[in-house]
Amino acid sequence: MKSALSKSTIYIVLSAGAILMLLPFVWMISTSLKASNEVMSMPPAWIPSEWKFSNFAEALKVAPFDRYFLNSVIVTILSTIGELLTTILAAYAFSRIQFFGKNVVFAVLLGTMMVPSEVLLIPNFVTLSNLGWIDSYKALVVPWVASVFAIFLLRQYFLGIPKELSYAAKVDGCSEFKFLWYVMTPLAKPALITVALLKVINSWNAFLWPLIVTNTQELRTLPVGLSAFTTEAGVKYELLMAASTMVVLPMIILFFILQKYVVAGVARSGLKG
Amino acid sequence: MTIKPTWKSTLKALLYLAPALVILIVFNIYPIIKSFFMAFYTDYDFYNDVVFERGFGNFVTLFQDANFLKSVGNTFLFVLGVVPISIILSLFIAILLNSKIKLLGFFRTIYFLPFVTSVVAVAIVWSWIFHSDYGLLNYFLGLFGMDAIQWLTDPNYSMLALIILSVWKGLGFNIIIFLAGLQNINQQYYLAAKVDGASSWSRFMNVTVPLLSPTLFFISIISIINTFKVFDEIFALFNGKPGPANSTLTVVYYVYQKFYEEWEFGLASAAAFVLFIIVFIFTLIQLSFGKKFVHYQ
Amino acid sequence: MEIHLNKLTMQFNDIKAVNKLSTTIRDGELVSLLGPSGCGKSTTLMLLAGLYKPTSGKIYFGDKDVTKLEAENREIGMVFQNYALYPHLSVLKNIMFPLRMQKVPKKESKKLAQEMAELVQIGHLVDRKPAQLSGGQQQRVAIARALVKKPKLLLLDEPLSNLDAKLRLEMREEIRRIQQEIGITAIFVTHDQEEALSISDRVMLMNKGVLQQDSPPQEMYKTPVNQFAAGFLGNPPINFVTLAKSGNDKYLLNELAPFRLPNVIEEDKVQIGLRPENLYISDEAEAICTGKVIHIETIGRDTLIKVEIAGETLRALIDPSLQINIGDYCHLGIEEECIHYFHPETGVRLGGGDCHDDQTNMEKHA
Repeated sequence: MKSALSKSTIYIVLSAGAILMLLPFVWMISTSLKASNEVMSMPPAWIPSEWKFSNFAEALKVAPFDRYFLNSVIVTILSTIGELLTTILAAYAFSRIQFFGKNVVFAVLLGTMMVPSEVLLIPNFVTLSNLGWIDSYKALVVPWVASVFAIFLLRQYFLGIPKELSYAAKVDGCSEFKFLWYVMTPLAKPALITVALLKVINSWNAFLWPLIVTNTQELRTLPVGLSAFTTEAGVKYELLMAASTMVVLPMIILFFILQKYVVAGVARSGLKG
Repeated sequence: MTIKPTWKSTLKALLYLAPALVILIVFNIYPIIKSFFMAFYTDYDFYNDVVFERGFGNFVTLFQDANFLKSVGNTFLFVLGVVPISIILSLFIAILLNSKIKLLGFFRTIYFLPFVTSVVAVAIVWSWIFHSDYGLLNYFLGLFGMDAIQWLTDPNYSMLALIILSVWKGLGFNIIIFLAGLQNINQQYYLAAKVDGASSWSRFMNVTVPLLSPTLFFISIISIINTFKVFDEIFALFNGKPGPANSTLTVVYYVYQKFYEEWEFGLASAAAFVLFIIVFIFTLIQLSFGKKFVHYQ
Repeated sequence: MEIHLNKLTMQFNDIKAVNKLSTTIRDGELVSLLGPSGCGKSTTLMLLAGLYKPTSGKIYFGDKDVTKLEAENREIGMVFQNYALYPHLSVLKNIMFPLRMQKVPKKESKKLAQEMAELVQIGHLVDRKPAQLSGGQQQRVAIARALVKKPKLLLLDEPLSNLDAKLRLEMREEIRRIQQEIGITAIFVTHDQEEALSISDRVMLMNKGVLQQDSPPQEMYKTPVNQFAAGFLGNPPINFVTLAKSGNDKYLLNELAPFRLPNVIEEDKVQIGLRPENLYISDEAEAICTGKVIHIETIGRDTLIKVEIAGETLRALIDPSLQINIGDYCHLGIEEECIHYFHPETGVRLGGGDCHDDQTNMEKHA
């Protein structure tokens, strides 16, 4: 394709695309900092004439975004740690232990990946109401602390670690559990970071499930709170955009810091397919 | 040489698997089975978990419900609108990104950005962009002398608005995977084709496309399955409604309505079951299609 | 520590990787497990390590039955072919690892690890990561890690096969030096006969899971117990020809070529083994056979010739000062004691072969 398109054309096309991708974010931040009379000015003002950071405080007054934020942080951290633990243990069993029915269990688990998670919504809701967990952190966290995809990803990584290392560790007087903890886990750090990051992103952005299992405002996560805010804020777009910025910004920052792991994880999931 | 499993090793494996298995069985495997059965609950008391009647009634009701049929139609329309555009655009961008340019990482980051952000948040931002009077999009259209469009209130345009948002949101994921696929192609094939005198277009058609076919195949399956399940975008874009005049009512939205708004658990389960069947059939079609046309390196 | 193996058997599906292996390894001995790939030598080592559990049979360390003991409790050290160093740990931490597992205080384990690093001469590299070391250096780290906890038995699984030729020689002597310095019992797996013969006190030769011969290196070379042992050792390999008796004191190869053998055996048919280095060009009266030279090649200081006799080819290493050309007929002679006799069907040794070959000669041709 190189001869068909010159380098400069490529840069122009890519830059135009990049601007289109970024535009909504720029517009969001720009609006979030405008005075309410400037929001609806035509033609649109890209840079606010007056930087109204108070919009953020205003939004916090209308709805408890600090509380939502805390909920999202709690839910994200707990479900990520939980998933890492269950995944490390399960991936170890699938990659290093010979046991009866291994292939069957693995195939069944992979099979569940074919079922859209929306199908599970109703029975899971019934289960949780029977357990009396509706409107609790448990409902937001517990169903999500295990993931077949994560187990599969980590298992593949574990399989790439030479078997001799586990032999060497055994001879060195290391029990299997210690080996998993002291050798396998540190060695699998890139895969674990990938698993954790994808989990953090999914958990932070999850909407339908937290929408359904929370009724009280105190337990809303950011996306649910933000969605409710559209009714609460009415047509105050500067507040709506300020709130959206609060939801979006932490993930963008996290992504900028650790993007190579996110990209590697997504790419790996694609190549394995 | 493999060591044979023993009862002792099986017990040990079970201990390692237990935490994950308990969760997956309760919240993944059991619900799959349960939702299948629930689809046949025609009379169900959710509070006491008592079933009074079972039968195919839910499916009959579903297929007589104009809204459900509409939701299926809308879902297909949505898939048809999003998947081809998204794949062609992302492949195009991935090829540009793969042409040994500087700033690759920079561009990749920007294109991927929407993927890491909350659907709800970006949908709200887009609803502001789609605003009929003060929205950015109509402003741009106005610059070209076009009339303002009622993106979110005119049933003729609401689906288009949803498609634009979804393509924008999903582009980065596809680009990353295409890019990985492209970088995985051994450069020797290109050199060989060049030596054989192939033009750049024929190199693309005869080297890139066949060798990229596993990636193309994977992306099309994932894209179709994911677009079939669209919900968050609609809920946030249309402020908790399935678009004007149900114009963006999709199957998952229908499930949500029946289940969460109308408490029709049996009907909702039946609809979810239909969704699963549709996704399953598509996966099967693609798998058999893939076997014929996909070249693994 | 003395080690006894008693009818040790390991079965994978329907393959007996190790079949009724019995032997005793004395304290302080360095024993080589030698054999072609798939002969069961590595499996035997894994059984000794406790990484595999035998299908039947017993393993004793001293008087203690350790057959069912887990690897981590056997007090052994092991060196692997690919070294199996922990990539995420520094050299020092790698060596400290076994001590940390024994809950040795950090300060002390650091000191012990440093001492061990000095012993294997990598004291100056302790802060590096394994990936920053050369193959030989990694090997030294692996040895240090295996020895740091003062094991009673050191197991080495093809430790030299990933090294280049020059390093291999060096590390081979290094392993011998360290082993003797510590006085530890060591078992060394290799497929390289030269390695086995040069450093070990005793060689256990295995084939298809069965122990073929268990003897000091020289003895194995001089009096191989069967055709396999005779064929496995020696380079260029030993010549085998099957002869049929025809009258007193006369044997024929393929019913054509006469061989003159001392009349020490009774069988009508016999297989003899002639090591190329024992054969020489002789006059007709002394010769055991005569054939046509079809190939001449210089190997180092020797000249290798191939001689065709009744459709069979014999290799002989001869004095390079002799003038010989392709197509010449020549007479081959050999010392009577250097002829090995084997049963033509079973391959079992029948007699002969107590060659007055000295040690240097054996190593040269190993």
